[in-house]
Amino acid sequence: MQCDWPLLGPLKWIRYVNKQVKVKAGKDEERCGWLLTVDPVSASLVLVNFKEEGGASVQVVMGHAVEEVEVLREADDETTERLQTSFLPSKTRRLDP
Amino acid sequence: SIVTSAASETDAEQLPKEQHARSVLRESFLRCLLSMTNKKVRFHLHERVKVEATFGASDIDVLNFQVSDLHTPIGVQKEALIRCQDVISFTFEA
Repeated sequence: MQCDWPLLGPLKWIRYVNKQVKVKAGKDEERCGWLLTVDPVSASLVLVNFKEEGGASVQVVMGHAVEEVEVLREADDETTERLQTSFLPSKTRRLDP
Repeated sequence: SIVTSAASETDAEQLPKEQHARSVLRESFLRCLLSMTNKKVRFHLHERVKVEATFGASDIDVLNFQVSDLHTPIGVQKEALIRCQDVISFTFEA
């Protein structure tokens, strides 16, 4: 999607959450990953790539540098769960009674 | 920084939804920043310059990052502030 990314606003940014996206930023540079969140202040995107051996590589693309964001696919339930619990403090991660 | 509200001029009913979306997104971003503290972060700057440093903190407007042990091409800077405008992206292992 060709867009003025920083001007989209929270309601549009949130539609990209939990999607696998391809982001063009800087000179001919592309990055892919699951979109965890968009900082509403700086419009920066947080992309997560899970590794097979566990853990994840996190890329933050600054909002001012974003040229294009393209949605590749939606996350399944398992990926969504894994994504959204990645940075929660361990205390709130276990909600079992 | 950027837009204060995209919805304000269109629809007053949109505003609570927009504010909710904003808070959800921001909380998640702040947790991500928090988890970055004391981690090795690789910054991608303009002209394909890459530098490594230990992440300290960001200011609330995300204008500057405070880092330690910044590995520059001319040596290691013990403490430094990186202007976010100079950064295209940064990566770390979680």
